[in-house]
Amino acid sequence: MSQNLVELIRRRHAVQAPTALDVLKEAVDDHGEVTDADRVHAAELSGLPEAAVYGVSTFYDDLLAPRGRRHVRVCTGTACFAAAGEAPLEQIGAGLGLKPGERDAEGSVSLAETVCLGFCHSSPAVRDGETIDAGTGVIDRVLGSATRAAPEPEWESLLPEPVLTRPGDWAGLRRALTELDPETLLSEVEAAEVRGRGGAGFPAGTKWHFARDAAGEEKFIVANGDEGDPGSYIDKYLMERSPELVLEGMALAGLAVGAGHGFVLCRSEYPLSKPALETAAASARAEGLLGEGILGTGFDFDVTVIEGAGSYVVGEETALLACIQGLRGTVSARPPFPAERGIQGMPTVVNNIETLANIPYVAARGAGAYHGLSPDSETAGSKLVCFNQCFARPSVYEVPFGATVRKLCQEVAGGLRDGATIKAVQIGGPLGGILPASLLDTRFDFDALAAVGCMVGHGSILAFDESTSMREVATHLLRFGADESCGKCFPCRIGLHRAHEEFASGAPVDRERLEQLLETLELGSLCAHGSGMPAPLRSLLEHFPEELGLE
Amino acid sequence: MSTVTVDGVEVEMEAGATLLDAAKAAGRWVPTLCFDERQAPFGACRVCLVGLADSPKPVPACTTPCRDGMEVETEQPAARRVAGAVVELALSELPGRPAAGTELARVAERLDVTEPRWPGAVHERRGDLRHPYLALQHELCISCGRCVRACDEVQGAFALTATGRGFEANIAAGLDAGFEDSTCVSCGACADTCPTDAITEIGLLPQLSEE
Repeated sequence: MSQNLVELIRRRHAVQAPTALDVLKEAVDDHGEVTDADRVHAAELSGLPEAAVYGVSTFYDDLLAPRGRRHVRVCTGTACFAAAGEAPLEQIGAGLGLKPGERDAEGSVSLAETVCLGFCHSSPAVRDGETIDAGTGVIDRVLGSATRAAPEPEWESLLPEPVLTRPGDWAGLRRALTELDPETLLSEVEAAEVRGRGGAGFPAGTKWHFARDAAGEEKFIVANGDEGDPGSYIDKYLMERSPELVLEGMALAGLAVGAGHGFVLCRSEYPLSKPALETAAASARAEGLLGEGILGTGFDFDVTVIEGAGSYVVGEETALLACIQGLRGTVSARPPFPAERGIQGMPTVVNNIETLANIPYVAARGAGAYHGLSPDSETAGSKLVCFNQCFARPSVYEVPFGATVRKLCQEVAGGLRDGATIKAVQIGGPLGGILPASLLDTRFDFDALAAVGCMVGHGSILAFDESTSMREVATHLLRFGADESCGKCFPCRIGLHRAHEEFASGAPVDRERLEQLLETLELGSLCAHGSGMPAPLRSLLEHFPEELGLE
Repeated sequence: MSTVTVDGVEVEMEAGATLLDAAKAAGRWVPTLCFDERQAPFGACRVCLVGLADSPKPVPACTTPCRDGMEVETEQPAARRVAGAVVELALSELPGRPAAGTELARVAERLDVTEPRWPGAVHERRGDLRHPYLALQHELCISCGRCVRACDEVQGAFALTATGRGFEANIAAGLDAGFEDSTCVSCGACADTCPTDAITEIGLLPQLSEE
């Protein structure tokens, strides 16, 4: 991230100027596209140079596809792919007479791809204007202009007492402000060994400690709600059903590290998340739980909710900080880590939404109780998992760590619907390994999954049934990987494009050259997008080599 | 201060120094494409990977700070394998070979990378010759970010930006209407730092095309 641009943004922030991204998003909402006049206007309001604004306007999906009065976005995430292959985009495109990214001459209708709408429980999903429709018959309903809002699933906790699938009650913050001091709270979170739920599994307490110790006039807390992993709709549910729990977790983080302000970045693909968080924040302010002098103490903390603009890699923490500041969502080399230099160059904690939702329980009940939630696993706490449409009972479930993947698939989610059998499951998003049916007895926790080339990741469990072609899975995943590469580091920017070309060509794939490319991505990439994309490919090479068309 | 060993040579480094600085101090060559000593390290090209004792993976020399006792191996096999593979990928996105004498051509030669084995898409040719001195050939851009940073950090003109993402990433001046319609002050810092001559002096173009 350019230090000069960050300094410009810091000065403009002091006078409450909008970011360039805010202004460009408003232009698209207003007249369906970004024009040069909009870019000049965004530069004037945000204080960014015109060229930098131009760069922003060419980065985010939401700013690139022109919109007609009716804007149809077809989800091409992995759950929708597992349910319907390429059919939704092909058939809707043919019916509307448009290719993705096109708008008709009259400006009445436009078509775009989107990844992913978080309706993986009832794929395939399509967003028609503000309505998200999903499930059987959705293609006909889109073409007949008769879409309807798809139902949201109910979530369920398998714990004796729900920790994450409950409304927030602010008991953790109340206790922290009355019975604990910030140091004790931080020690409690460190002792609880809360591991990050966004993919990397980094201990939250360690991150907080770094930020607490870092020097800065101001510090910030960032909640990463950019749950871009296709197949995952866990953070969506937390932000929309239990936003208080997330806000309480942020306030606790603020108290522990000495930060007075937080930002939540939620996705534009989840149109309900930002309003839900803002409503909850307004209620909390009215009750004295956010704002100045919280609960009559000297603690001040407030939150700003920001919506992204369509980019998977913005879920990476340095790219997330760039997006929040209205810049291109590209990754920056670490060090410096956000805990030393983040928002406006100040120490910043970036935690995933679900990670933050764990904190109120730790603050209210203590580290010991938190460790007791998963008696059969080394991993502390509980986990939200979610299942795709192929399962009989796809939904979000709160489970202890340590159950086998088979138990989760068969007993919790009811096995596959229509008597189908599981060929393989991809766990934790597109950067997670793929577990073949023969390894379903692997335990669901950080260490056991890592031992078989998989990860907990975001907690999505996405089944492919026996009819799935694994070469098509590889092609699908690589297309996603190449499309979403932020373009900063060379291995990911060029390598994922080359890997996708190889698989999409239909020709035999040179195994030796592919493995060299996977090594280049793994060892050379700047962030987990490039270094993680090989994981599912490695799984497929190990378990389904005969299906990949190798030579 | 920290003491770092590079290929067996001990060097004393100031606080804030990187492994690339240490390698230079030890007189060892490390390939780079996105690095320019006048600019903050960027960490994009990943060809400066070096081996580090006790690290399971090679690390980028340009963005890794020196710590006391580090032992660096510049020609570690995995690091050099990846560096070569990355240079090959960079060559594969260009519609032709980079001109001899460009930094990309020299690094490729030194790493023994010849014809890229990737037959896929290459950048579309798009030349911009509207400025009296500066030529911008978008197809030669490898998105190293050096021109953008030169304009930002060295000149402070902010006339350039990275554009697009993924394989479509490139650069633009101003609102992509050329240098003349931007805040460009014609200083030439971008042309000076470009490792592929994607930005170069117009007067040099005939000479480059002859090569």
